[in-house]
Amino acid sequence: MRRRWPMTVAGVLITFVYLLPVYWMLNTSFKKPADIFATPPQLVPLSPTLRSYADAAFGNPAIAKGLANSAVIAIGTTLLTIAIAVPAAYGLARLRLRFVSVFLMLFLVVQMVPAVNLALPMFAIFSDLGLVNSYAGLILANASLAIPLGIVLLRPYFLSVPTEILEAAKVDGCTTFGAFVRIALPISRPGLITLAVISFLGAWGEFVFGLALAADEDLQPITVVLAGLTNAFGTRWNDLMAVSAVVALPVIAAFVFLQRYIVAGLTEGATKS
Amino acid sequence: MAITVPQQRVATGRAAARRTTTAEYLFVVPAVLFVGFTVLYPLGYNVVQSFQDVGIAQIVNGNAKFVGLDNYADQFGRPEFWKSFGISLLYTGGTVLATFVAGLALALFFHRDFPGRNVLRALLLLAWVLPTVVSANVWRWLLDGTYGLLNTVLGTEIFWLGKPGTAMVAVMLASAWSFAPFAMVLLLAGLQGISGTLYEAARIDGAGAWAQFRRITLPLLRPVSLTTVLLCFISTFKTFDTVFLMTQGGPGGATEVLPVYAYKLAFSFYKFDVAAVATTMLLVVPVVLSVFYFRSLRKEETA
Repeated sequence: MRRRWPMTVAGVLITFVYLLPVYWMLNTSFKKPADIFATPPQLVPLSPTLRSYADAAFGNPAIAKGLANSAVIAIGTTLLTIAIAVPAAYGLARLRLRFVSVFLMLFLVVQMVPAVNLALPMFAIFSDLGLVNSYAGLILANASLAIPLGIVLLRPYFLSVPTEILEAAKVDGCTTFGAFVRIALPISRPGLITLAVISFLGAWGEFVFGLALAADEDLQPITVVLAGLTNAFGTRWNDLMAVSAVVALPVIAAFVFLQRYIVAGLTEGATKS
Repeated sequence: MAITVPQQRVATGRAAARRTTTAEYLFVVPAVLFVGFTVLYPLGYNVVQSFQDVGIAQIVNGNAKFVGLDNYADQFGRPEFWKSFGISLLYTGGTVLATFVAGLALALFFHRDFPGRNVLRALLLLAWVLPTVVSANVWRWLLDGTYGLLNTVLGTEIFWLGKPGTAMVAVMLASAWSFAPFAMVLLLAGLQGISGTLYEAARIDGAGAWAQFRRITLPLLRPVSLTTVLLCFISTFKTFDTVFLMTQGGPGGATEVLPVYAYKLAFSFYKFDVAAVATTMLLVVPVVLSVFYFRSLRKEETA
């Protein structure tokens, strides 16, 4: 196999071209205002600056507030998803329950529901309950789709926990709950991390629920704040790209540090039923 | 918290199983209730609203009146609704086609064995996970009429998002860019399922690369391809954010897909009742497709 290294070079090239939009975002975000309109365009920023990050991304109170809101919503969604999806995934994987296939089908099908179909009625329902313009409402809305995904994603991890170990734990006096907490959870740690990362990133990038359920600017997630500022930024593409890069930061960080978890989660949820 | 059952050790077989089973449902009940409240109830609520007269007053005060099929008659009689429906189908069709072709090309390339391929495959998924607000903004910048990179590369000065035809192509391109790595992953799984001996046999019989692709890869990839196309169709048909963020449905309604149309009815015009008709229709198409899909699967299995 002497021809393998050229393949790698070609692969790197394809990947780079494919991810060119991401590169162009970072490239633009480090440019001076005048340089973004240079012809021919600077393929690397010739006089790089962090001004856009200092002024727009972190210096703008509206954006800082949006980032903080998104953090609260995403962390809340993650905690709620873990609390509800983890036991359910375990129950559907390792307990002898009736209707397992019915429940699984429910959680699988529910993921196909368009967010708009939930956002509209949720606005009416949450208005009644005083949940519009509240973190709680946004967290509930985000968890509505994260929990079914989490269950489908996590179940295979619990399926791979050998039943014999769980039976043995019970013989030694563990309750069902004890076996779950002391045996199944530690073994499935990669799955739990995957679930946490995926539900955090999902809520972090979510747009429709934030748009529909948070008219109050003090509660809007960064995605909605950014969409609202887009016109105000006009042609300040360097500032817009800097804010975009900050919004993308958790995703990029997760890719760098938790790559194997993310990739496993992204593909497992979709391909295994 | 912990349900201690000390007698469990003494209790024999079936009795123990029965006692634990009741408690064991507590693992699943919260999830079912939660999904019931946050997904099934809103979906039902939405369908009910589509038969009622609901404006902002009814949202605030409740007591909406039932009006039978009036909302449906209203929407089905409107050219805007059918235009939006057609735009949705066009946008979805174009995006799914582009997604599938790009996803298949990537899958065929990254199916080969070479150093670093797993890392590169994973990196590509970045396009899929990037928050839509981010990718939509980046695409708006790349497609900028005067200084956008695409125009520079092509040597043109096209306001891509300013004209109906090119705006549609642009939102398809941006959506396909996000979905293609996902399609790649599904198709890679399919390619891995095709036995290498088939290709060896074909080579011995003198089949070239193209013949192998047409006679072996494509037919054997059919089931996975169908699943990929269906999943891409479902996610594209419901896409709101990419279109809303790139064009807001414009110019002149040229990219106003059904989710954007429904959202505007509800939140720009406070017509929650007819918006509910539009979102209900948004469910009908994927459900019908899925039924056909499962039927064809069953037919293939029994045949």
